[in-house]
Amino acid sequence: MTTVRLAAGGVCAVKGFDLDMSEDCKVCITEGLLLLKHRGYTVGRVRFFEEEGLRISVEGEGEGEEEGSPEDEISLALLSALLGEIETTERDGKLSSITFTMGSEK
Amino acid sequence: MTESELFQRYRETGDKELRNLIAEKYLHIAAILAKKFVGRGVEYDDLYQVASLALVKGIDRFDERKGLKFSTFITPTITGEIKNYFRDRSHLIHLPRKVSELRTAVLNATEELTRELGKKPTAAEIAAKLGVSEEEVLCSAEAGWVVSLDRPSEDGDMNYYDVISDGNDVFEKIDTHDAVASALEGLSETEKKLVAYRFGEELSQAETARRMGVSQMYISRMERKILEKLRERLKKSMAE
Repeated sequence: MTTVRLAAGGVCAVKGFDLDMSEDCKVCITEGLLLLKHRGYTVGRVRFFEEEGLRISVEGEGEGEEEGSPEDEISLALLSALLGEIETTERDGKLSSITFTMGSEK
Repeated sequence: MTESELFQRYRETGDKELRNLIAEKYLHIAAILAKKFVGRGVEYDDLYQVASLALVKGIDRFDERKGLKFSTFITPTITGEIKNYFRDRSHLIHLPRKVSELRTAVLNATEELTRELGKKPTAAEIAAKLGVSEEEVLCSAEAGWVVSLDRPSEDGDMNYYDVISDGNDVFEKIDTHDAVASALEGLSETEKKLVAYRFGEELSQAETARRMGVSQMYISRMERKILEKLRERLKKSMAE
């Protein structure tokens, strides 16, 4: 997680985000990965897309599980609180990726 | 009792015991969220405190009839409070722009004048160069220094936390106590009784009068006389 946070911090700095937004971004990516980890994924892929803002996709690779952890509800609420809107996708009825955008005026 | 029943009962009764029960039940959410914001220059304990206060406030605002789960409701509330705390905290250590600019100007002027004069300039010389008052120069020099309470004090043996007064000076209390005790010594037994009723037990003049079997008018006059007497004696003992 520390490596992911460092890498995310670097991308945010290149994008010109202020420290607060950069920290929020790191929290959101970490939460996304935790959600996937709690669903049994052992490999996670984080991708950054430079658009109007920064679109970030956190995907789980391999077989996931339907059941998450009781803390997932808090993680999802935290993501919504920090981002306003998140997109989730499912594979075989199981959560497989979380996508969100930061630094966009929308 | 289900979550909904618990909140419904609290909303109807306003019972603080119930609120405490709810707070304890959901305190883990405050802890989880506080942990997520560690590493931004604020200690976990401070964040946990902010989050816990937000939780208590949130309990009062939550309406279970709207169909939302409490954890879903409280997470953005706590997150918002933590973010506000970061914002307010950063304001605490940000100087007003005017002060900050003056501070930079003073530092630059000090360097320039040191070169020109071959010595460190005085506040008056800096003020003259910048066209501001000497007081402004002195104030700007003091602004912006954040000092840790753990930093050793000037004598080096203790830190600032140990030497800064907590407003509760024990020696001063002893002095005051001694002065009042000796001033009271000179009063008659009746006068002492009045002081004990009025200022010890904090009874009203009417109640004091009833207990001492005299009129309220008498108590009022006697009280004024005693206070004058005590004031005189305390003045004298302070002068000594």
